[in-house]
Amino acid sequence: MRVLVIEDSVRLQRTLGTALRKSGYAVDLSGDGESGLWLATSNQYDVVVLDLMLPKLDGWGVLGGLRQRKHDVHILLLTARDSVADRVQGLGNGADDYLVKPFALEEFLARVQALCRRAYGDKRRVLMLGDLEMDTLRRTIRRAGRDIELTSREYLLLEYLARRTGQVVSRSEIESHIYDEQVDPMSNVVDSAICCLRKKLGGADQAPLIRTRRGFGYVLEVDGPVCA
Amino acid sequence: MTSVRRHLARTLLGTVLALGGAGTAVLLFAARDAAVDQFDAALRAKALAISTLTAPTPDGVAVAFTDHFLRGFDERNPRDFFEIWDAQGRPLARSESLGQGDLPRPARVRERPSFWRQRLPTGRPGRAIGLSFSPKPAGPTQAGAPVWLVVASDSTGLNEDLWQLIAIAAVSGAVLLAATLWLIPRALRKGLQPLDRLGERTAAIDSHSLGTRFAAADLPAELRPIANRLNDLLGRIEESFERERRFSADLAHELRTPLAELRSLVECSLQWPETRDPAEPQEILAITDQMEGIVSHMLALARGEQGQIPVRSEPLYLDRLVQDRWARLARGAAARGLTADLQLDPTSVTADPTLLQSVLDNVLENAVEYSAAPAVLRIRVQTKAGRAVFSVENPAPNLAAADVPRLFERFWRKEAARSGGRHVGLGLPLARVFAEAMGWQLAAALDGAASLAVTLAQARAGPAPAAG
Repeated sequence: MRVLVIEDSVRLQRTLGTALRKSGYAVDLSGDGESGLWLATSNQYDVVVLDLMLPKLDGWGVLGGLRQRKHDVHILLLTARDSVADRVQGLGNGADDYLVKPFALEEFLARVQALCRRAYGDKRRVLMLGDLEMDTLRRTIRRAGRDIELTSREYLLLEYLARRTGQVVSRSEIESHIYDEQVDPMSNVVDSAICCLRKKLGGADQAPLIRTRRGFGYVLEVDGPVCA
Repeated sequence: MTSVRRHLARTLLGTVLALGGAGTAVLLFAARDAAVDQFDAALRAKALAISTLTAPTPDGVAVAFTDHFLRGFDERNPRDFFEIWDAQGRPLARSESLGQGDLPRPARVRERPSFWRQRLPTGRPGRAIGLSFSPKPAGPTQAGAPVWLVVASDSTGLNEDLWQLIAIAAVSGAVLLAATLWLIPRALRKGLQPLDRLGERTAAIDSHSLGTRFAAADLPAELRPIANRLNDLLGRIEESFERERRFSADLAHELRTPLAELRSLVECSLQWPETRDPAEPQEILAITDQMEGIVSHMLALARGEQGQIPVRSEPLYLDRLVQDRWARLARGAAARGLTADLQLDPTSVTADPTLLQSVLDNVLENAVEYSAAPAVLRIRVQTKAGRAVFSVENPAPNLAAADVPRLFERFWRKEAARSGGRHVGLGLPLARVFAEAMGWQLAAALDGAASLAVTLAQARAGPAPAAG
């Protein structure tokens, strides 16, 4: 999952970026409204964390700019304005959630995660894919009763594929959703990550979950039903 | 006093009852006296008639009228009585109405009539007149010896009239009492309604309805001064509340971001210790310094707005102080490509050195921070019309004319951003409060060439410029 944080406070930008990355998100950071709007419209983000008081173009301008372009990315407003009128205005102008500063980091991450789930129209906490069990809150993976240790980036990749079970996901989609701007687009990080993920998920006697559709991308498929 | 209405009701009731009672009593006595006087006049007329008709005889006296002449003296309808005695007390004549009875002879009778109450031989109450006269003969002979005459009349009718009068007065008094009891509370309630409404509206005012104002023009003249004073008081309280509310809201709003920074920094370090930056304590210190700065500036502003800044006036040279404060900033300004065109006329002023220095620092730092660069800052100290004037001009192409009045608003920044927490938009408002506390004026103006001039001037002419 890829998140854009548009926040002019450098300290807050840094700590939110760290917390999100540590939680497995790909994170891009922006310190002003103009560059934030440009990033949001240039990349595919699952969630945009948007401060309202920004230099060059304020948060209302960014929000309006995105919605005018019919951009349906989920937006979490992060602001010091705590009045009911401000919240109503924020949500009324197209924001999906509103968090008032100061906030608990845990709550912030939970809200970002909730918005990510909404981004895929799936509000389940635990995904059951055949014998694979994903707890998206605890970020744990079990397959056939066996716990599987994944890095945060691998987990993110698996969750992204799992949310789109049965659909072919292109390499570029994976790059834009899972990897931030720090990753070289010419590298084969996606292929490497898929390879590592397959190894960790598949035992010798277990059917592969992630299949390659040559020329199109990857698809996560299970033989049994997908259920909560 | 527990209730004005109750107090007024009691006072009015007492007064009306006392005056009504006293008036009725006076009227009653006057009416009784008039009735008795009238009765006595009739009695006197009867006595005079009898004395006129009485003539001396050798045996005594003879009254030349029959009792039928005055019907009251008739024995069949005995309402009037008379009896005449000689000086020795022997009865000489009497009315038929006395029958076998007698009128009591007074111990002493004068020529001047005297009146008294008398129980009549009939057993009924009456009044009597007694007088002494000498009967006159019909011819030119000498008048006879003086005799005593007592005439009495039945006063039952008079007494009945008097009792009737008393009864009328009592009933009138009772009606007056009832009417007073009914009318006064209602009249008071109606009359005091504006006061009640004023009280109710005043009682309903709380911290959420301080915008309430009383329509003084609609109130009675007696309440208008109260309503006007209440309106003034409410205005001041509302202003004070609004100031406090604004202070709290501004403070809370400005502290939210550094608090969020602090909290997320600490939480991040606790949750992922490996991400901890060695410079984190310095970061935390910087954040707390920022918060402390916001709080101290806000408190200084609040004190300034309430006129609580202590001012210590002493003579000093404005030009030297400006030179000194600019020297601190010159290097930083040069790094931004800013130089100063200093024209500092020797100017002595009387001011608080700490406050004045703070104002100068704010104005100069503001110019260095926000001036377009490269540029030359025009810094002047002059005396105009006897007033010391300090001014700084710098190019400000991004500033609009509408922004100029807002430069002195709390937390106003050209951009809503916090610029990394260095500026919170309190410098110029605070500088203005300090200037005003010293009796100076701080103003800003933007000319057609987008040059911003911030001017600090004495409100009144100060001491004459001194060389030096």
